[in-house]
Amino acid sequence: MALSVDDRVGEVGKAPVAAGLQVRLRRLQTGPTSRATALVVLVAVLGFLSVYPLSMLLYGSLHSTPPGMAGTFNLDGYQQVLTPESLLTLLNTIGISFAKTIPSVVLAVMLAWILARTDTPFRGTLEVLVTLPFFIPPILTAMAWGMLGNPQVGLLNQLYQWITGSTDSPINVYSYGGVVWHMMQYSVPFLFLLIVDAFRAMDPSLEEAARMCGASRWRTFRTVTLQLMLPALTSGAILSFIRGIENFESPLFFGTPAGIRVITTEIYDSINQRSPPQYQYATAASFVIMALLFLIVLLQWRLLRGRSFVTVSGKGYSPGVIKLGSWRWATFSFCVLFFVVTVVLPLGQLLIGSFFKFFGFYEWDMLTLDHYRNVFGSSEFWRGFRNTMLLGLIGATLTMVLGGAVAYISVRTKWRGRSLIDAMAWLPWMMPGIVLGVGFLWGFALLPHAIPIYGTIWALLLAYISLGTPLSVRVMSSAYAQLSYDLEECSRVHGASWLQTMWRIIIALAWPSFAVGWVLVFFGIMRELSASVLLYSVGSEVLSVVLLKLWANGNAEQVSVIGLMMMALVILFRWVQLRLLRPRVGAL
Amino acid sequence: MSEVVLEKVSRNFGNFAAVADVDLRVNQGEFVTLLGPSGCGKTTTLRMVAGLEPNSGGRISIGSEVVSDAGRGIFVPSERRRLGMVFQSYAIWPHMSVFENVAYPLRVRRCPNAEIQEAVARTLRLVEMERFADRPAPALSGGQQQRVAIARALVFEPKVLLLDEPLSNLDAKLRLQMGDEFRAIQKRLGMTTLYVTHDQSEAMALSDRVVVMDRGRIQQIGAPEEIYRFPASRTVAAFFGTPNLLDAEVKACTRIDGRRVRLDVVGQGWGGRCEAAHEARPGQAVTVMVRPEDARIASAGSDAGDQELRWSGRIAHSTFRGATRSIVVQTDNGQLNVDMSAFDAHAIGDNVNVVVSQRAAWAVPRGDVTA
Repeated sequence: MALSVDDRVGEVGKAPVAAGLQVRLRRLQTGPTSRATALVVLVAVLGFLSVYPLSMLLYGSLHSTPPGMAGTFNLDGYQQVLTPESLLTLLNTIGISFAKTIPSVVLAVMLAWILARTDTPFRGTLEVLVTLPFFIPPILTAMAWGMLGNPQVGLLNQLYQWITGSTDSPINVYSYGGVVWHMMQYSVPFLFLLIVDAFRAMDPSLEEAARMCGASRWRTFRTVTLQLMLPALTSGAILSFIRGIENFESPLFFGTPAGIRVITTEIYDSINQRSPPQYQYATAASFVIMALLFLIVLLQWRLLRGRSFVTVSGKGYSPGVIKLGSWRWATFSFCVLFFVVTVVLPLGQLLIGSFFKFFGFYEWDMLTLDHYRNVFGSSEFWRGFRNTMLLGLIGATLTMVLGGAVAYISVRTKWRGRSLIDAMAWLPWMMPGIVLGVGFLWGFALLPHAIPIYGTIWALLLAYISLGTPLSVRVMSSAYAQLSYDLEECSRVHGASWLQTMWRIIIALAWPSFAVGWVLVFFGIMRELSASVLLYSVGSEVLSVVLLKLWANGNAEQVSVIGLMMMALVILFRWVQLRLLRPRVGAL
Repeated sequence: MSEVVLEKVSRNFGNFAAVADVDLRVNQGEFVTLLGPSGCGKTTTLRMVAGLEPNSGGRISIGSEVVSDAGRGIFVPSERRRLGMVFQSYAIWPHMSVFENVAYPLRVRRCPNAEIQEAVARTLRLVEMERFADRPAPALSGGQQQRVAIARALVFEPKVLLLDEPLSNLDAKLRLQMGDEFRAIQKRLGMTTLYVTHDQSEAMALSDRVVVMDRGRIQQIGAPEEIYRFPASRTVAAFFGTPNLLDAEVKACTRIDGRRVRLDVVGQGWGGRCEAAHEARPGQAVTVMVRPEDARIASAGSDAGDQELRWSGRIAHSTFRGATRSIVVQTDNGQLNVDMSAFDAHAIGDNVNVVVSQRAAWAVPRGDVTA
């Protein structure tokens, strides 16, 4: 973009020599040079954030010793990955992800249909409640469910025993069922958010036409509604499947104690829990899981090629709402039940847990505020809190600025090289947090000593920005895509420079999306565990790491206190997001 | 001083020439319309004048200043060209009030606040939107948005105004009204105006001169009447309405005056005289254009007058259109369209003659078969 051009450059044209000079000067000042500078800076930043850790994974998987030590190059790491136990772990990972994706899709379709297409009462409120679990850090619900479904002293088992009088403990979350159940609490609202707009925006005349042809309501749903939703459903299901493979918290909390191993916990264990740490094996496994995810993404592209993601045009349809009669209270209860199980139960457990002396022993004389005193008196908690807030604020801002710049160039310019930076920004999307953590572990260790990132809070910051960038680019891309080019061009024609246009039109119109993206990235940083747990060191613990350490020491009561406060923060942020931003941005 | 001159302007996208060798001069205060089917390069031409699109060849000047010259690498960015522009989508900024939208060109030029208040109020009065100044922009109807877009383009009194299909998003009635209002304002302020549309009736009603474009090239430039009556080619002839185009061969040629010649032509089963722009050799193939409204229906067997052309046939369709009735007559030369008074009764299947005055028949060279 030309930023400054001599106003009268044309008049100088009368003297050809001067004109030539002017033109050359102008070229130097503007367009190509500043464009090249911007591209080089972005490529360098994104290269460090995505390509560098990725290539370090390859390097580390071939390197026989831990990062920073002299060693040789061999294929031992991959040989270890190819042993029967490791392949079993891989199959386990895929199986668990399948097992949670299928019921999640069914539940999400039911919820989306109920909330978008029926006259169930309080649909607006229910929608907010049903999607809330998605925003709660998984580590919190994992710990809460660890207490609720504990086979010895879990609240649910105690309730069962109290009601039936038996001594059985039917519920044990430390099992396959527990892992799948905990994953589902996240994948159901995730899928719901992905597909509900497709349900809501569908042209009702397509369904009405089927009814007019004599199809029953159920047949219409099967042959028209569901078929039209299929592209959105398929891609949603594949995304959910990928997230299932990347998942770390559920198998860590419920799988590992029961001896159920998946690939993410395997990577974590071989670096953090084994002595000596098996870096080469962990890195090779990371590389393999990335390759696997890449294949799935390719498959997704093949499946969805030529099929539109959106089955509807932008017209303002008001979709046909189906009158359910008295059944609407049944659908209402179904949604409330989902909310109670996924939010109220864990929240209640944290609340109860925080006030009793020992978790599991709920007697009146055990009530205490000691845990609150201990937490608020603990310097470790305050340090974690400070680190999380600092990283959240700085990380979310930098991520959104980076994402905004990348998205602007890839959506609104025709610069050469824009697809390169778009691809580079998208790369971390394929890397689960733990894999990126391993990549950065190698990357930071191999940096020259003059750049001491390893073991500092900056290591976490860089990892968070890298993990958040794909999301921020997506949010800002769709924001820019909604702004017609005319709005920008009109401003230029009427005398505003590129900078003025940027400030007064683009930023003025896109800031709500920026804010939405910011909150989402902030949520992401607050909940991040798998990369943090590899990259933190003493002094740079974040809240999720503090929680994990307390939990590992059996301090479930203080965990409850911190968990409650994080919950409050999540609900506050979500409220701000819905209250202040929703009116300005179409879909949240 | 504020004319717009395009010299050999072209725009290539790879090997595809969207605009090729356009030469056009829009005089001070003139209203010139670029007309053509979608994809003919008219919008690209306008955007090159606006500086929103670089020209890959040729030179554009506004007033005495060269604003882009591909050969010398001169390119003045849009914001330095001092233009007003109305976009097809209106491009009303949704985050600003009506007042702020209109004030924008003045604000970015750092005008004093008092001046802005005054100028915006005056311009809003001009488009009769002064009551809506404080409205948020999204709360406007299509016609109101269009007025705001015009006010914004006028507010800093640009010497040249560019309009990109500004009426195409309005309903038919409002389109007529806004077109007339706009033309009145333009005449009053005496602005040089370049207007893009694909709507022929809009182009004819508003313009001093019309530029017909097709496939990136100018087909004809002229006053609306001239283009309608005396098209230069079959493409231009076919672009307005649904003319009857009949193939014929030249027998003789005589000059009427400096601008027109009379041709004796013979077609399949008919013959007579018509007019044309250029002299033609005997034996040359031409296309004779007869406008439906110039033709009339006579009963079968009636003789044509000395000054008339005649085809005999049978009525195939008759469509009542309110003000007129469109009749399709099947002849040996294909179907002929005739527009006639709505209440003349002719039954389908009647044998009739289609008659037209020789002065209303216009011949163009058949060389181009682009239509």
